[in-house]
Amino acid sequence: MSLSAILIFCVANAGLLFAATVHFEHQKLERREVHIPIQDFSLTDQSNQIFKFQSFKGKLLLVDFAYTTCPDVCPLMTVAMRSVQDELKAAERNLVHLIMVTTDPEVDSPAVLASFAKRYRVDLSNWSFLTGAESSLAKVWKNFGVGVKRKARGLVDHTPLTAIIDQKGVMRFAYYGTAPDPKMVLRDMRTLVSQR
Amino acid sequence: MDTLYTERCLGCHGLSGRGDGPIAAGLPVPTPDFRETVQRKSTSRIRRIIAEGQGIMPAYHPALRPPEISDMVQMVRFLSREGRDISWWEKYDTLVVAHCSVPWEVALGFDEPSEEKKP
Repeated sequence: MSLSAILIFCVANAGLLFAATVHFEHQKLERREVHIPIQDFSLTDQSNQIFKFQSFKGKLLLVDFAYTTCPDVCPLMTVAMRSVQDELKAAERNLVHLIMVTTDPEVDSPAVLASFAKRYRVDLSNWSFLTGAESSLAKVWKNFGVGVKRKARGLVDHTPLTAIIDQKGVMRFAYYGTAPDPKMVLRDMRTLVSQR
Repeated sequence: MDTLYTERCLGCHGLSGRGDGPIAAGLPVPTPDFRETVQRKSTSRIRRIIAEGQGIMPAYHPALRPPEISDMVQMVRFLSREGRDISWWEKYDTLVVAHCSVPWEVALGFDEPSEEKKP
C-alpha cells in the first residue's frame, strides 16, 4: 500500500473533517446618480509621472478603485473598464480619460501598476493607474467615499466603486459592486457628453 | 497554506482547482483547470506565473514573500491531481505534520524524490 493510500485510510478513520467555508459575497451592482464635487489631488501614475486631477478638467473621467493583487471584484472591474475603453469611438477617446486608483499603495508601486496595465493590454494613451503615499490616497478615497481596510499584505477590503466624473470635476454616476455593464457606463458617459 | 489559497486563488480557480471559482464565470477568458495545465509545467514555471502573473491573473510578487509563493506552488500541484480539493489539504497536512517525518512532497506523491547517489 502506498504511503498516500495509508494516509487516506488514516484520515478517513480519524474522521477529520474540514469544510472550506468560502464566502464570496458579490454585492449586487447599484447605480446611483450623484452630484459630488471632487477636490483636486495629485498622485503618481504607472510611469512615475505626477498626475494632477485639475489637469483633466474638461474631460470625462471614468474612475475605479481597485488593487493589483485583488482576488475578488477588481479583475471584473478592470475588465469592464477595458471594455469601455475598447468601445469608445475614435472621436470620444480625446474626450474621455480612464483612471484606476489603487487601494493598496503598500504593494502597488508605479512599476507594479505598469506591469498590471501591460497584462490587461490596456491603451495607456487615455488610461492612468495611480498610486501615492497612503496619506495622499486616503484623502482621495475619502473624497470619493471609498472605504479601505487592509487585511494582510496584498489583501484589502474596499468599496468597489466605479464612477463617472463630469467635465467640471463632479462625480455624476457611481456604480457600486461587481463590475458595471460597459454598455450602461457608455450610455451614461454619452449622456453627459451630450449635455455639455 | 489552504488559507492562502482560499484567500488569493479560490475566487477564480475554485475549491478543486478546476477553474470554477465564484468569479470565474465573469472573466473574459476561461480559468485553467489545474488537472489539465499544471502536470506538464515545471515547478519554476508555476512559480513564475504566480509571482509575475499571467494575463489577468494577479502577480503575487512582491505582495507575497517567497515562502508563501512556494506554498502556493505546492497547493497548485496538490490540486492538480484528480479528485482533490482544498478540504483534503487540511487532512493531509495535519497527519503529515503531526505523525510523519516523511517530506510531504513525497507523501503526497507529486514530486518525485531525488535519486539516491550511489557511493
